[in-house]
Amino acid sequence: MNFGKIFLVLKREYITRARSKSFILSTILTPIVLIAFGSFMVWIVSSETDSEKIVGVYDSTGVLADHFIELNPDRYLDVSDLELDSVKALVLGEGELDAYLNLEEKHIETNENAELIYSGSGGLAFTGSVRGDLRQIIQEERLARANVSEEVKELFARRPGLDSRKLTDEGEAEDDKAGFMSGVGFVLGLLIFIGLFGYGAVLMRSVIEEKTNRIVEVITSSIKPIELLIGKVTGVCLLGFTQFAVWAFMYIGISIVAVPVAGLIMQDQLTEMASQEEINAAAAEVGFDPASLDILSIDPMIFVYFFLFFVLGFFMYASLFAAVGSAVDSEQDTQQFMPILMVPLMGAYILNTRIMVDPDSSLAVFASLFPLTSPINMITRIAVTDVPIWQILVSFTLLIVSFYGIMWVSAKIYRVGILMYGKKASFSDLLKWIKQG
Amino acid sequence: MVIINVENVTKAFGKNTAVNDVSFNVEKGRIFGLLGPNGAGKTTTIRMINHILTPDTGTITINGQISSPITQKMIGYMPEERGLYKKMKVGEQLLYLTQLKGMSTSAAKKAIDFWLDRFEASDWKKKEVGELSKGMSQKIQFIATIAHNPDIYIFDEPFSGLDPINSETLKEVIIGLKDEGKTILFSTHRMEQVEQMCDDICLFNNGKAVLQGDLRKVKSSFGENTINLEFSGDGSFLDQLENVRINNRSTNFAEIRVLNDQPMQKILELAMQHAEIHKYERVEPSLNEIFISTVGEDNLKVEEV
Repeated sequence: MNFGKIFLVLKREYITRARSKSFILSTILTPIVLIAFGSFMVWIVSSETDSEKIVGVYDSTGVLADHFIELNPDRYLDVSDLELDSVKALVLGEGELDAYLNLEEKHIETNENAELIYSGSGGLAFTGSVRGDLRQIIQEERLARANVSEEVKELFARRPGLDSRKLTDEGEAEDDKAGFMSGVGFVLGLLIFIGLFGYGAVLMRSVIEEKTNRIVEVITSSIKPIELLIGKVTGVCLLGFTQFAVWAFMYIGISIVAVPVAGLIMQDQLTEMASQEEINAAAAEVGFDPASLDILSIDPMIFVYFFLFFVLGFFMYASLFAAVGSAVDSEQDTQQFMPILMVPLMGAYILNTRIMVDPDSSLAVFASLFPLTSPINMITRIAVTDVPIWQILVSFTLLIVSFYGIMWVSAKIYRVGILMYGKKASFSDLLKWIKQG
Repeated sequence: MVIINVENVTKAFGKNTAVNDVSFNVEKGRIFGLLGPNGAGKTTTIRMINHILTPDTGTITINGQISSPITQKMIGYMPEERGLYKKMKVGEQLLYLTQLKGMSTSAAKKAIDFWLDRFEASDWKKKEVGELSKGMSQKIQFIATIAHNPDIYIFDEPFSGLDPINSETLKEVIIGLKDEGKTILFSTHRMEQVEQMCDDICLFNNGKAVLQGDLRKVKSSFGENTINLEFSGDGSFLDQLENVRINNRSTNFAEIRVLNDQPMQKILELAMQHAEIHKYERVEPSLNEIFISTVGEDNLKVEEV
């Protein structure tokens, strides 16, 4: 290995990429797109999902319909006076009713299910919400008929809550950060996914560019292909760090500006509320405990792991991307090889959504040890749960071993591939190239 | 003095043996031509000399050293498939490529400025290669090959894709390098360039070196068994000739290689009966003819010469 030459390659790769318009644009635009996407998701989740559907209540008991209308006057309409057939006609007709509920005495007295009959599409959210209303009203009616004391009714009206706290080694229960940390874990896994995929593709294009520009033979008359490969991978890896660092500074900068602004806005709202009780009530309502801000701190070790898994994962995947790039003549030709890269990466990403909520399942343990998925899945587990140290060590060991193996195979493909012009390689060609070395 | 020594070198790609037990020497300060049809193994041999590929068996030594990253620095190599980074500036690109050959930054900058000046290309230093014309970028390519001042220059098919003017310039540069005592090895499948420039040749066919040596000696060893005939009139008499091979035939010229040692005078007599003879000359065979007779016509039919 000639490290002086590797450094020259690295420097060129880094400087020409970092100066390119596409790098500068993606550095600026990615956080904006992510924030926009995140806000969009929040908006979707929090927005009123009830579509304005009108449900006719065909009530033969005479007592339930009023409760429904009381509960949600926009949705429910008493149609008990009409014939059942004309109710059906309304449901089938143009927009007057979307559905109707047929309620009888037996629904109160026995456990028989009531029926919601609708035309067009029902929708899970809609039927779920009607079911909730129905349960509440029938339960209240049953309680009323059972002639129980106010005390019992009060007992039923109360909704038991659950606060979770975690027991640590020091024996103290600390505030559970599960919700926050699973978010952090997912984002870290997502960042590694984006990094492996995005910068892997950058490297692949760079290899293809050297091939199509026909400069690679000139370069290999000065430097070994493996040195060229290592230089390029390291250069692109540093490019990734640069981008992450810029984003980290942007995040810190935005937080510094945004927190006081958000504080001011909240201050305004708080002063509008007259009494301390109201403030407490409002805080309780949104589940906001002012003391909870300190749980937002993250254990710095997580970032050390993030760094290690990103670097190892990147070198492994990047060498594969480079091998694919060396085997083709243009970016269009890469498609036949892309599944090798896409399947494990996308698989790890999809698994991550499960691992975030269930970090100790055997699937999660497997995915965090399996080297093709571990860079993404292990970091999420580390953030979300207490991963036993042996699992982290096994994960690293497997990753390092497969990194060497994959780099070795990729370097062989790369070495032959970069000198093959005008020919689209097949999988059997690749096998031949590996054997040739 | 032998500067490149190729000894019993074999290189196979799977079942295809690209280079089969090839040996030759390149002498210092001479122009060495590697000829043969496409696919004969020239490029593979050149890549092995450049240590881009390594031989399966056999050895290659440069200046007495086994080919290695160290010997790579002694060589300036211009591959057949050549190119540069399109989006990189000329100056930066030359600096990068020259540094990769092991030159220090300051020495590299000096050499690049010298050559850019000599090729009247100093104005292009800040331009991206993609903005240059083809001829301009070929000059830059050439500077990239020679800027680190190696002793050996290897050009794979240097004349392919060059217009006649650039061809002529390149020829002059190569001969200029030779005058400075440098060694040049180039490959081509165009025989007339070899005849004009080379001191020594090595003929490749199907992965083997079939003929090699000093060009003049190779030619004279074939004897003056070829007739250059210029005539006017009906040329169909040429078809009646037996045991000859006619190269370069046109309406009023034929290069006739006489086989079987038959008397050449008879051919002249036949020609005089049918056409008016302007010129009759007995010469050594052309390189093209030497190549065909060495390889055998039958072996060549699949290849273009």
